Amino acid sequence: MVKKINNPKQSKILRQSLANRFVHWTTALSVLLLIITGLGQLPLYTRYNVTKLPGAEWLGDYFITINLHYLGALGLLFAVAFHVVYAFARREFDIFPRKGDMKESYQIIKAMLTKGKEPASDKYLAEQRVAYLFIGVSLLLLIVTGLIKTLKNVPGIDLSHSFLYWNTALHNLGTGLILFGIIGHLAAFLLKENRPLLPGMFTGSINREYVKHRHSLWYDKLLRSGEINEIKLNDSETHSSGVNS
Amino acid sequence: MDNNISRRTFFKRTTAAGLLGALAATGLNKPVQAAGLSNGKLGTLIDLSKCDGCKNYGTPLCVEACGKHNQERFPEPIKPLKKYWPQDKVEDWSNKRDLKSRLTPYNWTFVDHVKVTHDGAEQEVYVPRRCMHCDNPTCSKLCPFSAITKDPTGAVSIDDEICFGGAKCRDVCPWGIPQRQAGVGIYLDIAPDLAGGGVMYKCDMCVDLLAEGKKPACVSACPNGAISIGPREDVRNLANEKAKEINGYVYGDKENGGTSTLYVSAVPFEKIDAAIKADKASKKDTAPGRPGMPVNVENYLSTGKGMFISTVMAPFAGAAVAGLTAYRTIKGDKAKRKQNNLNTQGGDDNDGEENK
Repeated sequence: MVKKINNPKQSKILRQSLANRFVHWTTALSVLLLIITGLGQLPLYTRYNVTKLPGAEWLGDYFITINLHYLGALGLLFAVAFHVVYAFARREFDIFPRKGDMKESYQIIKAMLTKGKEPASDKYLAEQRVAYLFIGVSLLLLIVTGLIKTLKNVPGIDLSHSFLYWNTALHNLGTGLILFGIIGHLAAFLLKENRPLLPGMFTGSINREYVKHRHSLWYDKLLRSGEINEIKLNDSETHSSGVNS
Repeated sequence: MDNNISRRTFFKRTTAAGLLGALAATGLNKPVQAAGLSNGKLGTLIDLSKCDGCKNYGTPLCVEACGKHNQERFPEPIKPLKKYWPQDKVEDWSNKRDLKSRLTPYNWTFVDHVKVTHDGAEQEVYVPRRCMHCDNPTCSKLCPFSAITKDPTGAVSIDDEICFGGAKCRDVCPWGIPQRQAGVGIYLDIAPDLAGGGVMYKCDMCVDLLAEGKKPACVSACPNGAISIGPREDVRNLANEKAKEINGYVYGDKENGGTSTLYVSAVPFEKIDAAIKADKASKKDTAPGRPGMPVNVENYLSTGKGMFISTVMAPFAGAAVAGLTAYRTIKGDKAKRKQNNLNTQGGDDNDGEENK
């Protein structure tokens, strides 16, 4: 117990590096800005009286919202390119989907709802890898169609109408998909079992005991690579149980 | 409503079939050449020194011809109309189909009339108004459903089968040209109580006639030859020559980044714009459909190129920073591993050191 207090790092394990947190939050804030300003490109805010709310007048100005939409796009493109290059440079593919993830996701969700036993997980749960794929593909769709839309806005560029029509439709579809993805992502935290993961995206670290039980495959890997030391935990556990008894 | 849509569709299809038939029979270039028009970019010239507003006729002939040519395309709304929830309004011009003094869904061109004092004399100015057919049309580029097209002649048209009637095109147009009619269009099939507002209507430069090599209805109808059409560059040259000749001014060449409609006038357009504004203010006319003539009005998308370049550059910046960061962390990892190895070799003491 004494050891645990003196060395708080022992009870926590770094799950999200600074680079990961940077990518996550830059993406999250950019996408939030993109959604708010993107919806502003539909004539929504004036129609539904949102612009009458204090401080919300600017939402009705298509040119303010489009410029902010570009700003959000800059942030998103920067973060996505950073993420892809960083992941490949460091060969960090923990979040990339694997074979059998759909089936495993089902098993995990079933276990959470029925309080049953869930399959052993790596650094990420299978459902997190599936969610990553879903959000990633939606973002890529939005990025590609969005870049075509920015090209269309260049004076003197006249792209074919049917191409633009489908591009616009796909961009609008991507908006629906990303909204669904974000709602799903946030809804995951309605389940108590997932909540200990939350601090990982703020401080970077999560509870070691949680890792040991829920991410046992990752835990074993960390032990094998020597990034954590089992003796220390056992030590502190012994102390803890000693104190409790 | 079904009847309405099928009528529209029928009209569209028959027009398209007719055009295809005409093209197939005569070859692509022939009809356009027949009217002396190239099939490239076109321009129209509206010479205000020649327009007298058809004082001797009930309705200006260009306005009448426009109405006649497009009568089958005017909206036939399903009534009763639903208000634009949660707003307490609905845009309905169906009971004012005969209104010819402004732009409405049933009147795609009109002749404005103002009195302007210039060179010490009061002059009557008549200004035929309709869509300017911009080179970089903000309406078309910013339509959230890509319902507005610009064809190679420069004609900008709204597809009434895709338009949702949000009126964004009117808001982003420096002249507020497109006009809305509720009770028609695709929104009725989706959630008419909650979203959508109808269909936007405006001049399409009579693209159907252009495709047949014929001049737009307003051009053909003008008894004074005040409206002409031709290859864009020729029209620009003609406008500048005419302006020089009458010591006058050109409008539309620079406005909103350039348009394919050029006006020539002996009276400065700033004065015409001010006169329209003053007249509207005196009549408390705040409804859309009577546009001003703001000189050198900027195109909001003029910064589009810089924006595009920035967005294209952003991923490269992200990739570069990621490369650098990854390189540094990999180096750091190696150093850490080395240190760990040393620690392991050093035995328990080192571990203990780390735990303090």
